[in-house]
Amino acid sequence: MTTFIQSVVDGLGRGSTYALLALGISLIFGVMHLVNFAYAELITVGAYLAYYLSTEGLGWWVIAPAIVVAAVVASVGTELVAFRWVRNASPFTLLLTSFALERLSHALWAILVSPNKRSFAGPSWAFNTVEVGGIRFEVMDLVTIGVTAVVLTLTAFVFRRTLFGISVRAASEDFDAARLMGVRANRVIVRAFAYAGLLAGVAAVLILMRSPSAEPTLGADWLIKAVVAAVIGGLGSFTGAVVGGLTLGLAEVMLRGYLPEGVWERMTDAVVFVLIALLFIVRPQGLFTVRTAERV
Amino acid sequence: MKVLSSPVGRSAIAAAAFFVVLVVGALAYTSTGGSARDLLVQELLVNLVIVLGLQVFIGTTGILSFGHLAFAQIAAYGAALVAIPAASKATSLPDLPLGLGDVELGPFGATLVGIAVALLCGAFVGVAVARAGGLAATMITLAVLFVVDQAVKNWTELTRGAGGLSGVPRMTTDTWLWVTALGALLVANLFAETRLGRFAAATRDDEIAAPAIGIDHFWPRWAAWIVSIALVGAAGALRVQLVGSTNPEQYTLDIGVLLLAMLVIGGMRTVTGAFVGTLVITVGNEIFRQLGDDHGIVRLPELFLGAVLLAVMLIRPGGLLGDTDVRAWLSRLSRRRIPAAAASERAGDDGATPPRAPGDLAATGISVRFGGFRALEDAAVRVRPGEIVGLIGPNGAGKTTMFNVVTGIVPEQAGEVTLGEHDLTDDPPHRIARAGLARTFQNLRLFPTLPVRENVALAALSARRYRPQAPAVDVDVLLESSGLTGVAERPAATLDYGNQRRLELARAAALAPAYLLLDEPTSGMSDQESRAMVDHVRATARLVGAGVLVIDHDLAFITRICDHVVVLAEGRVLAEGTPAEVRADPAVAEAYLGRRESRAFLQSDRPL
Repeated sequence: MTTFIQSVVDGLGRGSTYALLALGISLIFGVMHLVNFAYAELITVGAYLAYYLSTEGLGWWVIAPAIVVAAVVASVGTELVAFRWVRNASPFTLLLTSFALERLSHALWAILVSPNKRSFAGPSWAFNTVEVGGIRFEVMDLVTIGVTAVVLTLTAFVFRRTLFGISVRAASEDFDAARLMGVRANRVIVRAFAYAGLLAGVAAVLILMRSPSAEPTLGADWLIKAVVAAVIGGLGSFTGAVVGGLTLGLAEVMLRGYLPEGVWERMTDAVVFVLIALLFIVRPQGLFTVRTAERV
Repeated sequence: MKVLSSPVGRSAIAAAAFFVVLVVGALAYTSTGGSARDLLVQELLVNLVIVLGLQVFIGTTGILSFGHLAFAQIAAYGAALVAIPAASKATSLPDLPLGLGDVELGPFGATLVGIAVALLCGAFVGVAVARAGGLAATMITLAVLFVVDQAVKNWTELTRGAGGLSGVPRMTTDTWLWVTALGALLVANLFAETRLGRFAAATRDDEIAAPAIGIDHFWPRWAAWIVSIALVGAAGALRVQLVGSTNPEQYTLDIGVLLLAMLVIGGMRTVTGAFVGTLVITVGNEIFRQLGDDHGIVRLPELFLGAVLLAVMLIRPGGLLGDTDVRAWLSRLSRRRIPAAAASERAGDDGATPPRAPGDLAATGISVRFGGFRALEDAAVRVRPGEIVGLIGPNGAGKTTMFNVVTGIVPEQAGEVTLGEHDLTDDPPHRIARAGLARTFQNLRLFPTLPVRENVALAALSARRYRPQAPAVDVDVLLESSGLTGVAERPAATLDYGNQRRLELARAAALAPAYLLLDEPTSGMSDQESRAMVDHVRATARLVGAGVLVIDHDLAFITRICDHVVVLAEGRVLAEGTPAEVRADPAVAEAYLGRRESRAFLQSDRPL
């Protein structure tokens, strides 16, 4: 029982990070049908900034907000420099545009800094453990879950109650109709990118506190998991992204714990992806169906 | 010129042309340098075969796949495991399962085994991919890439993990690679000419319009997938035997993106685009690698790739060449030889086909709800063979929903749709089209990147295949009578609005349907054009012997063309009868004009 609860917390910790990133991907997909493969590069931006600030001797109280700000700025930057100009293109073109940005990001960090990993100091308390009711938890897991819970609650509030959130939801359902109702396309898309940047920034802080290092391809692994989580939930569905992220995190940790030893245990990731493929065969639209406005 | 009129001839000439470019280029390049240059040529050929494989699937179906490299990898490991001498396997791979330890095949056998294993795995995955389509299909291929990667890295008894396999007997010459490259060029060109290849392009251009002319998504996609896996597998199996070793690093997502970039930079929809893209990126990559080496800059090729891809997407998202294609050009060249008079002469000989529907088209008791909104409530409409029936009503009355129910796009909660004895209620759209219902769409759904002629020819091809009992429709005659002969070779998207409407009608007619369902054929047309449309719709329907069910807001048009009119309001049938009867019906006038206006209207002689 104890190990079970520990695995659940572990899985939720992982899953929360996926959920934050999946939400960002889903949000951008909602407003412009872009599956943003450059999205996790925002984590890399945060990582190099953290590395720089850390070598300057600054503490995490400065580094953490700086990472979030950098992610927001970079996210809006990609919109202004690239995505704005292909906004009405096919999803295929949009996807490849984001791939091009991802490639450029990898290459630029390798050329400007170094292709090798640069490590720095994480917060000293990250790997402390606390005991609650006889079960040991890592502080970092609890912080991750807590921060994610706060951010998700805030996001739920923003999307239900603020004008920005409501325009984003309207734009996700039917962009043309939303424009006719007075939603400004540029403004809502830029703000959606900014919010997605905020989510990636928070995720980056949580990821970097746990493993404080920067390398050009840092974003790649997170990206795939985040995209998969977003698609599991159903792209464009906010609840779906959160459920998808948490499910993926739990599935990884649980399978690792319970698959028989030997080849199977080593292939946890493979098993997770087989399950995901099966899901898409049964429900191509993901767990949560998103209404689309395509008229016949 | 006879060669050009056969698909095989055209494809062979196109393939030969590319091949000559390759041979001349390679000779010129290698004659001046050392063995390093041979390696680049080798790499170029392997890339070319893979990219042609990608073109066959991604280019024709429009479904993005990350998984193809996984099958190249499966083929490579498959070929390696049966090619490595038994003696060396005994020491390096002592725990090989399935008795593979004793197998020892020559290069030809090993290549075939590699391709076969890839095809076997690919056939199953292909079913899932073809069924899912769209983004879900892309995600399945992504999952496949990771599953295979993990399996190769961790099933060490078979693969030796991350270190990879080595000691594969090496081919001494590139002959087989050249042969394969030529074969791949031929296959890719030829596939675009086959029925399934053309149908696949239709599903890519419009997922909803393709079933509306009887094309099932599944088989064209699956066929494209299988052909592409065979090509990619051949490249993988050959490469491992040329290099002598293989490891998981050769088949990562990064490499996959590189190959994808080759496909899209030239123009993914054509073989010519794939060919040019492969050349540009492979050569550019090599130039920047050397530049980087000379100046001590790592990852310069990656920067080049990102920059080129970004630039092409921003400036020319269709690729550098767009839809320019050698084979398509040859095909146009062959058609230009047909005297222009022929078509109009053929059109001259009577043309009319007697109505030959297997019975009435009848939708009865149809109810549809969208959430709480009742789009249709116990509505019904019937068309008799050769008859022209109008479906009218205020906006939101449920007219288009009725069309969507009849053609299988929207499921009904109650009611049934029959064509003569044939119950169409639960059939999917492509079966309904094959049964003899062809439709147009309110918002125009052409195959935008395909030539005007191909839009019509696809429907005629589908009719020949799936409606053998229907009369053969002459594509040229239809184009001529629709006034589209002059623009027949242009992409459909470049036509003006009126021509697009006429093209959509011609495409529907080319299916030789029992009934044509036309959703607002005159929308956006001037009075004059809409008057001309009356004769045009009549003539077209008579040409193929079809009855017509037509929705329109232009009541003058409806009055002129229809034998019978059904009025829908708020999802129910409000009235029906001849145009004159309907015009005189107070309930109809009220639904359109409101109570006060309707009284004045009924006393006047204005048309509705």
